[in-house]
Amino acid sequence: MKLEIGNFYVKDITFGKELKFDNGVLTINKEEALAFIKEDERITEADLYIAKPGDKIRMCPVKEAVEPRVRLDGRGLFPGYEGELVRAGEGTLHAMKNCSVLVVGRHWGGFQDGVIDMSGEGQKYTYFGGLNNIVLVADTNEEFEKREQQKKNDALRHAAHRLAEFVGKCVKDLKPEDTESYELEPAIKRDPKTEKLPSVVFVMQPQTQMEDMGYNTLAYGWDMNHMLPTYMNPNEVLDGAIVSGSFMPVAAKWSTYDYQNCPAIKALYREHGKTINFLGIIMSNLNVALDQKERSAIYVAQIANSLGADGAVVAEEGYGNPDADYVGCIVALEDAGVKTVGLSDECTGRDGMSQPLVTLDEKCDALVSCGDVSDLLVLPAMETVLGELEALGRDGMAGGWAGDEILGPSVREDGSIIMENNSMFCGDQVLGWSTKTMKAF
Amino acid sequence: MKKAILYINQFFGQIGGEDKADFAPVIREGKVGPAMEFAKNLQADITYTIICGDNFMGSNTDEAVKTILDGLEGKDFDLFLAGPAFQAGRYGVACGTICKAVKEKFNVPVLTSMNVENPGVEMFKSNMLIMEGANIASHMRKDVAAMVKVANKILSGEQVGPATEEGYFPTGRRKEVWLEDKTTAADRMINMLVAKLNGEPFVTELPIPKPDRVPIAPAIKDLKHAKIALVTTGGIVPVDNPDKIQSASATRWGRYDISHTMRLESGVYKTIHAGFDPAAANDDPNVITPVDALQELLKEGYYGSLHPYFYSTVGTGTTQAEAARMANEIVPYLKEDNVDGIIMVST
Repeated sequence: MKLEIGNFYVKDITFGKELKFDNGVLTINKEEALAFIKEDERITEADLYIAKPGDKIRMCPVKEAVEPRVRLDGRGLFPGYEGELVRAGEGTLHAMKNCSVLVVGRHWGGFQDGVIDMSGEGQKYTYFGGLNNIVLVADTNEEFEKREQQKKNDALRHAAHRLAEFVGKCVKDLKPEDTESYELEPAIKRDPKTEKLPSVVFVMQPQTQMEDMGYNTLAYGWDMNHMLPTYMNPNEVLDGAIVSGSFMPVAAKWSTYDYQNCPAIKALYREHGKTINFLGIIMSNLNVALDQKERSAIYVAQIANSLGADGAVVAEEGYGNPDADYVGCIVALEDAGVKTVGLSDECTGRDGMSQPLVTLDEKCDALVSCGDVSDLLVLPAMETVLGELEALGRDGMAGGWAGDEILGPSVREDGSIIMENNSMFCGDQVLGWSTKTMKAF
Repeated sequence: MKKAILYINQFFGQIGGEDKADFAPVIREGKVGPAMEFAKNLQADITYTIICGDNFMGSNTDEAVKTILDGLEGKDFDLFLAGPAFQAGRYGVACGTICKAVKEKFNVPVLTSMNVENPGVEMFKSNMLIMEGANIASHMRKDVAAMVKVANKILSGEQVGPATEEGYFPTGRRKEVWLEDKTTAADRMINMLVAKLNGEPFVTELPIPKPDRVPIAPAIKDLKHAKIALVTTGGIVPVDNPDKIQSASATRWGRYDISHTMRLESGVYKTIHAGFDPAAANDDPNVITPVDALQELLKEGYYGSLHPYFYSTVGTGTTQAEAARMANEIVPYLKEDNVDGIIMVST
């Protein structure tokens, strides 16, 4: 199963007469793009902006991020979600690097939505502060969830994926600057040198804890709350089989962009044949009831054993309740004789004194920690706000509040904000970008 | 220049050894004993040295603390130092006690130093920065130098770094840090994974504290002849709280005679626990310390006999180390009376 990704490095984005990519400059015909977005009748209002590193721009409430791409075989980027349900992970695609499509609510935010700053102290807190972003700011007719703290954001998330596909088309017939190639031989047919190396599986626990459908992470369009852990090829993840959901405090979120570019998968590929024998992915999930959590852990450990894994990496999307799934899965793997490393963030509270994960176990002896969702951030006003900053305090966003006796409101009159890292869009970068860690003071 | 005040015991204050451990606190103008060593590189002038006997601080804590706090009133200082206390247990506890009191009253940063074996570490590490010091006083220079390094950061307003880098005992606080070398989580994961797979050393970024589990005792086979005792962390005490048990972060406990008490009457007993709404417990202390039910069951012959005292302290904010110490002080009384089972009532 071989996937080739041809890269086009976006250095600048501008609006112009026609959609094109030339010499590092992406030009978008705004009207044409907006007309395409508005083909979805649920979109009632839409505008397009450009946000580049260094711009004095704050975005809020940000709902999703997607890398613009095109499949050379004409297939949809997200099979089963947008486009025909076919297998992902093979063939050739072209990707626009250092560039993402962001979708921001024109007015309404929620628990799962976040903040991105393109300059100042806040810029480094999200990966997207360092990218050239095409920003769709839109509203929808989804009246039923306008005032809900938990939003499916269905129309806007679809819009982001569709726009990424729309933009990506301009590099279909161009020659990429470089090409990445990902090929994982069948697990039982590897060269003797690789066979001798310790074998490793990557266990992914995407957020799937909403019992109601429409909020959870999707695998080929299927709500992953309704699945048991299964074996996947990493190329499927890199090639759009997994689409991010809309449920959890957003600092711990893995956007679709994060799946498309997953640094942990790329690092495991890099080491494959050198220090490890990368067997592939055990795609798990996160659950609500204890027996569901335990069942998933049993499946993961069983698959790891059946594949003959010596080691595993477990990554958790979320914090709090799903820490039980995360720790439970690591313990199940260790009990099954699989040496395991964990990837997550922590929640130690504003004073840093709280237990970092809701459940702890001594068997979790190798954990990588990517940040603290409860870290308090004070960020200066920005010249431009895309979306509606009031959403941070008004709409139950995870790291914001309407008022606080000591700290005052999250959104201040001068446009500066005070919030928990909890509301930084995909801030803890648990899939591998994070250059943050946690230390004892 | 900024100002600092140093607390030391009778020995380092050149008053005398163990025979002078009852020495009442004095505040001396200028530098005494270790203050000279501090003065070499400290970016502050040590204006006063406080000297107090270790036993005096241990036995007359309230008086000692009050005398010192009163004496500090009106004095201008930017930093309060104590020790280093090495492995000297009473001295370490004294340094912790006075640092905590000074910090609370004057809102001035405090800093001390102790050896890992000093009981003051467990008692006070969550309240203040305690530098990890040597076990004996011959390492005075090294311990003072380590204190001065962190003290100068505090004095200049510079951020004090993580515990392992600065050399103090972790206070229990974990905070986010941006890695200077910008190693990504993916690369850290690979390094840890490969090391773990190959049996090489690695350092987890989230150390899991070792659970201090006590094995569950075997069941009492013959309850009809068993002697039962009541112990509570719910803070039920006679209304005048004769043992002055603290309402939070307790270090004291008491035992109270119930050999002729059929039930704990409201107004005679109350709770001093600050961690829950006391209304129900004050209205009927038996809801936390069920003397009434135990006397009733005793009458029915459900169990053999009731130990004549109940034991009480407050659980809220109390460290595990303090709780274990208090338990170790209580246990001999229970063993002496051949108690077979304890009902431990928490809240």
